Amino acid sequence: MNFLLEKQLNLLDYALASLWRRKLKNLGIMSVFAGVICLVASFQFLTASLTATAQDLLAEAPEIVVQQMSAGRQEALPLSYLSSLEELNGVRTVAPRIWGYYFSEISGANYTVLAVDPSVMPKGDRLFQAVEGQLPSGPGEAVLGSGVAADLKLAGRRSFSLFRPDLTLKPMQMVGVFKPDTDLLTADLIYTTPDAARDLFAIPADHCTDLCVYVANPREIGTIAKKISVILPGTRVLTRPQISQTYRVVFGWRSGFASICLLSALAAFVILAWDKASGLSAEEKREIAILKVLGWQTGDILLLRCWESLIAAGLAWLLGCTAAYLHVFWLGGALFKPVMLGWSVIHPQLRLLPVVSTADLLLIFTMSVVPYLAATVIPAWRAAITPPDAAIR
Amino acid sequence: MFLSIWSLALTFCGAIALFLVAVAARTGWRVLRHWDPASDDSLQISLESETWLASTLVEYGLALQILSLLLFILAADQFSQVIAGAMCATGSLMADPYGMPTLYVKLAGVFLYGFWLLLHQLDIRVETYPLVRIKFIYLLVLLPFLLADVTLQTLFIAGLKPDIITSCCSVVFAEAGPDSGNLMGILPNELMLAVYYLAILGLAMVGILLLYGGWVERFRTLLISVYTLGWFGFFFLALTVITAIISCYIYAMPNHRCPFCIIKPEYHYIGLGIYATLIGGAFFGSSIGVAALIGRRPDLTRPVARYRRVAIKISLSLLAVFTILSSYHYLRYLFVGGE
Repeated sequence: MNFLLEKQLNLLDYALASLWRRKLKNLGIMSVFAGVICLVASFQFLTASLTATAQDLLAEAPEIVVQQMSAGRQEALPLSYLSSLEELNGVRTVAPRIWGYYFSEISGANYTVLAVDPSVMPKGDRLFQAVEGQLPSGPGEAVLGSGVAADLKLAGRRSFSLFRPDLTLKPMQMVGVFKPDTDLLTADLIYTTPDAARDLFAIPADHCTDLCVYVANPREIGTIAKKISVILPGTRVLTRPQISQTYRVVFGWRSGFASICLLSALAAFVILAWDKASGLSAEEKREIAILKVLGWQTGDILLLRCWESLIAAGLAWLLGCTAAYLHVFWLGGALFKPVMLGWSVIHPQLRLLPVVSTADLLLIFTMSVVPYLAATVIPAWRAAITPPDAAIR
Repeated sequence: MFLSIWSLALTFCGAIALFLVAVAARTGWRVLRHWDPASDDSLQISLESETWLASTLVEYGLALQILSLLLFILAADQFSQVIAGAMCATGSLMADPYGMPTLYVKLAGVFLYGFWLLLHQLDIRVETYPLVRIKFIYLLVLLPFLLADVTLQTLFIAGLKPDIITSCCSVVFAEAGPDSGNLMGILPNELMLAVYYLAILGLAMVGILLLYGGWVERFRTLLISVYTLGWFGFFFLALTVITAIISCYIYAMPNHRCPFCIIKPEYHYIGLGIYATLIGGAFFGSSIGVAALIGRRPDLTRPVARYRRVAIKISLSLLAVFTILSSYHYLRYLFVGGE
C-alpha cells in the first residue's frame, strides 16, 4: 500500500516539474480553459442565485393572488369580489392591494407604489419593525424606501408631490423611511394608504389592483385556487407554488439554452487540447524515450500524462470557478444578467445572494474537466508507446 | 427535458464514456482476432501496446461511470424541483418509466467495469498475459451494456416533462399497508435490524477467518463463496434497511423514508459516505469470488491469493466504516434520545 502511494507521489512530483518546465504552453492552455469554465460556471451560479433569491422573496408572498383580466391585460378589480372570496372555506384573510409603477421624469427612475391596509394582512402588525418613523395613516402620508428618499432630494423637507395621470399634482407627506437592511426589497418603494394610492393612479374608490388571498393550510392552495377561478371567471389566479416553479423552469431553461451555446466554445477548446496533446515536440519525444530507457513502462508514462492533465484541468477548474464567483457575486453577473432576467430597460435593483452548492461545482467539473481528460488520453497513449530507440536516434 | 444543464452534463458524460469504451472495444476486437503471444512481429507488438490503451480507457470509463451515477442522482434531485409532486430524486425517477432502470443499470455498471479492471490487473501481473482473451471478450460485452445505459438515460431525460404529476418519497416508501403496493416493511423493524446486524457480524467473521484462520484451508472455497454471495445479499439487505429503517433516524422523522434525501447537504452528505462505503465494500467483497473463478490457472494462483488478502482487508475496513456511518443516528437516538 505504502509503495503504491509513494509511486503516485513521485509521479505527481515529476508531473508538476514537467508542467513547470513547459510553463508558457501550459499556462496558455490553462488560461483559455479557465475562461471557458468561467463562462459555464457563471451561468450556473447565476441560475442558482436567482432561483434562491426568487424563493426567498416568495417565502412571505401571499398564497394566492387574484387579478382581473380584460382582453388579456390586467385591469383594476372591483372590491365586490372580496366578500365572495372571504366566504370560501380555508381562506384566512383577503387583502385588497393597490400597486403600480410611477415613472419620475426628473430622474428617469421607476418607483413602486404600494398600498395595503396593514390591519388585514397577516403579520401586518409587524410592519412597523421595518420602518423608522410612523406608518402612513392620514391622507397623503407615505413611507419611502431609501432609494426613493435619496432620488427625491428631499433635503430635510417632509412633503413632496407626484403627478396624477392628468398631470395635476398629488401632495404627499413623508412620515417614515424603510430601514436600510430591507433595501433589497424596499429601495424603490413608496408605501402609502389605499386612498392616497387610488388618488395617485386615478383608480375608482371601489376598485383595487389585485386581491391577496392568504390560505391557512398550504395543502389547500390548489383546491382554493380552482374554486376561485370557478367563482370569478375572467380573473387570473396565481398561486405561490406556481410562481416559484415557473421561476425555476424559466431560469433552468434559459441557463440550459445558454449552456448549449457555450458547448461550441467547449468543443473548440477540447479540439485545441487534443491537438496540443497530439503534436509532440522532438524534445518531448526524447524525454519519453529517456524515461523508457531508464525503465519506465508504458503504463507509468500514461499515468504521468494523466496526472499532468488532471493538475492542469483541476487548476483551470478552480481558477474558472473563482473567476465566475467574482463575476457573479461582485460584478452582479454583468455579462449574463440580461439573458437570465430579460431585456427590460428598467429593472429593480437585485443584489445576488452567493449560492454555490457542491452539486454545482461537480456539474461544472463534469462539463469541463472530464472532456479535457478524455481528449488528452489517446494522444497521451500515442506518446507513451513511442519506441525509445526511434526517438533517441 | 434536454434544455437543462444537468441533462446536458449527463448526456455529455454518456457520450464521452461511449466513445472511450468504443475505442477500447475496437482494440479488443483486433486483439481477439490477431493475438498470438508466441509471435514477435510488429502486429503483436502493437497489439501489446494497445492493451495499455484499452485498460486506461476502461479505467476512465469506470471513473466516468461512478461520476455519472452521482451526477444522475443529483440531477434527479434537481429535476424534482420543477416536476409537480416530486420533492426529491424519488419523484423524478418515478416520473418516467426509464428512471429506475437507468439507476439500476448505472449501479450494476460500477461493478461490471470494476471486475474488468480486476481481470486486467491480475492479467498484467503474469508474464504470459493468460487472461487476454477472457478480458477482451468481456470488454466486447461491456460495450452493449454501456450503450443500454446511455440509451436508458437519454430516454429518461427525453420523457421528463415539468407538467407530469408524480409521487414523492413519502408515498413511494410509505409503510406497507393493506392498500399500498410496496415491498418495504415485509418484516417488522426489530427483526430487520437484527438480521442486518447479524449479517454484518457474519460477514466480518467470515472475512477474518479467511484472513487469519490457517486451519480452515480445507473450507477455503466454501468460505470464499459464502463471502462473495454474502456481500451480494448484504448489499440489497443494506439498501432495504437504509430505506425502510435507518433513513427515518437520519431525518429524525418517523414517516420520512427515502434512500435519496440522505445525500442532500441538509444531512451533511452522510448518504454519500454510506453509499460509497457500501458500494466499495460490496465490490471488493464480491470480487474475491470473481478472482477465485480465474485463480484456478496455476500461473495465476499467487497473484489471486495476494489480491484476495488485500480485497478482504479493504472490504472489512469499508464494512466497519459503513456500520459506523449507518448506525450513528440510530444509536444516537437510542442513547441520547430524539431531537
